[in-house]
Amino acid sequence: MSHHTPHRRFPPRPSHQPGRTTWLRLCFLLLCATAAASAQALEVKLAFLGETDSAAHRGAMQGLAEAQAQGEFLGLTYSLNAIAPGSALPADTSAVVVAAPAATLEAAVAAHTGVPVLNAVLVEDALRRQCRPNLFHTQASTEMRRDAEAQWQKANPAGPAARAQVWHPDFTRYAAAQLNKRYRDTFNEAMTDEAWAGWAAVKLVSDTVAREQTAEAATLLSALRGRLAFDGQKGVDLSFRADGQLRQPLLLVVDRALAGEAPVRGVADIEDLDSLGRIECQP
Amino acid sequence: MKKLIPVLSLLCAMQAAHAAPRVFVTNEVGDSVSVIDAGTNKVTATIAVGKRPRGIGVAPDGGAIYVAVSGENHIAVIDPTSLAVLRTFPSGDDPETFAVHPNGNLYISNEEDAKASVFNPATGERVAEIKVGIEPEGVAVSADGIRAVVTSESTNMLHIIAIPEHKIVANILVGARPRAASFSADGTLAYATSEISGEVKKVDVASGKIVGKMPLADDKAKPKDILPSRDGKQLYVAGGRADRVFVLDEQTLEILHEVPVGKRVWGLALNKDGSRLYTTDGASDQVSVIDTVAHKVVATVPVGKMPWGIVVVE
Repeated sequence: MSHHTPHRRFPPRPSHQPGRTTWLRLCFLLLCATAAASAQALEVKLAFLGETDSAAHRGAMQGLAEAQAQGEFLGLTYSLNAIAPGSALPADTSAVVVAAPAATLEAAVAAHTGVPVLNAVLVEDALRRQCRPNLFHTQASTEMRRDAEAQWQKANPAGPAARAQVWHPDFTRYAAAQLNKRYRDTFNEAMTDEAWAGWAAVKLVSDTVAREQTAEAATLLSALRGRLAFDGQKGVDLSFRADGQLRQPLLLVVDRALAGEAPVRGVADIEDLDSLGRIECQP
Repeated sequence: MKKLIPVLSLLCAMQAAHAAPRVFVTNEVGDSVSVIDAGTNKVTATIAVGKRPRGIGVAPDGGAIYVAVSGENHIAVIDPTSLAVLRTFPSGDDPETFAVHPNGNLYISNEEDAKASVFNPATGERVAEIKVGIEPEGVAVSADGIRAVVTSESTNMLHIIAIPEHKIVANILVGARPRAASFSADGTLAYATSEISGEVKKVDVASGKIVGKMPLADDKAKPKDILPSRDGKQLYVAGGRADRVFVLDEQTLEILHEVPVGKRVWGLALNKDGSRLYTTDGASDQVSVIDTVAHKVVATVPVGKMPWGIVVVE
C-alpha cells in the first residue's frame, strides 16, 4: 500500500521554490530554536581539588545534589569536576573547592585569580591572615575554635573542657537534623566537619549563581565578598569576613557528645559571630 | 412542656451559633492540642493527640479539626464538638504544615521527601503529589482555590502551584529559609517570610514576580507566620526570636507597629472579623491575644509546652 498517498494532518502545501513566506517561516523556526536554546539550562562548572575519597568531597557531592535540585526549577545544571594539583581549570569554571594541603591550596589561589577558591579542610590562621581576594574558608580557623572553647570554659568553669567543631552528626536544631539525615541517607555515614565544609562551599556558590543568574567567576567572586545571608542550617545567616573566613556558630563537643553552641549564651551575644576568631587581615 | 422543646432547641441553637469562638493550638512538645474559649481567654480542654503535633487547620464547614502529628507521620481528625480524635490517616513522613482547600482537601508539605501532597481527608486518599524543593515547609491555598504556594526552606524558593492541574507554574527565588506564606484575600498576591535572611517578600501570583521586599529591621527577627489583616491593609508577621509581632503596611511593607509578645513567636491566626490576632509564643508556652486596633496584647493564655500551630474556629 506504499504507493498510496500517506495520510496528512494538514492539507499539502504547493511545492514550489522557497518564497518569501517560506523564508519567514524558516527565520521563525530559527528564532524559536535560539530561544529554546537560551531557555535551556545554564551549565555551572565547579572544580574539586583534593582526594575524591574524602569526607570533604562527599560533602561537596551532597551540596551538588542540592544545587541540582534547586537548579531544576531555575534552568541551572551543575557539575563537580575533580582536578589534579597544578593542572589547568576546565574552561569557564565558576569556583574551585579545595581539600588539599596548604601548598596546593596556595598554588591554586595564585594560579586562578579571579576564580573563587574555597578551602574546606585547613584550619591554619596564617591562611586567613593573607587575605587573598579569591580565597574563602568554609572550615573554621584555629582561633575561632579556641575562642569558642574559651567561651565554653568561662560559662562552665567547673565543667569538662569542650572541643569546638563546625558540625556534629547529632546536631538537630535549625533543620540540622534534615541535613544530617540527607547526608546519612546518601553516604551511609555521619556528616563530619569536613563534609559540612565541603557541602557549604558548593551551596554558597550555587546560592550565589541562582541569585546572580550567572556562572561567571568574577561576578560570583564579588558577590561572595558582598552581603550574604547564607543558610548553613545552623540557625543564623552566614557570610564571609574580609579575610575570607566564613563567620559561623561552632558546636561544642564533650566526649564526642554535643554539649553546646558558640557564641555561648551568657558569655557572648549569641548573634555576635565575630566573637569567634580574629577579623583583621594583618598578622 | 412539649411546646417548650422547640423553643428550647431554638434557644440552644442560637446559643451555639453565638457561642464565643474557640482557638485550637498544637503543643509541639506537650503532644497535645489546647482549646481556648475566646470569650474568657481560658483553656477549656486539652486533647492528647500524639507526638509532635504542629500544623493545624479546620474543615471549610467547621465540621472537623485536622492536626499534623509530625512524630507519628499522620493527620489526626478531631471532632470539634466532642473534641475526640475520630481517626487518623497516614500523610507521608514528618508532616509539618498544611492548608485546607475550599473543597476540603489538605495540601501538606512533606519536609523529608521534597514533595507537597494533596489528601482527601474524608477518605485519607492521596489525590496528588507535587515535586518541590528541599525541605518544603509553608503551604497556603488561595481563597478561590486555584493556586497554592509552597515554600522550600533549603532551596530558598516559593513554588506557585496551579489547582486542579497540580503543576508548578512559577518558582520564585527568595531569601534564605523561606518558612511561611499566605495569599491576599483575592489571591492575586502572596506573602512570604524568610527566616535566615530575616525578610518579607510580596509576590504577584500571576506573573510570579517579586513586587516588594522588606528586611525586618531587628536582625534578631527570625520571622515565621505571615498573615494579611481582614481588610487587606496590613500584614502581621510573627517575629520569632524578636519576641514581637510586626505590623506592616501592605503597600509599602514599612513597619507600622511592633507588638511585644512572648518568646519565640511562631504561629498566627485571626478571628473572623479580624479584631483579634492570636499568636503562639513557643518558648513561653503561651498564646498572646492581640487587639488589632489598639495593637496591644489584651490577654496571655498559658497552654501546653512549645505551642506551634494555631487556628480560630467560629
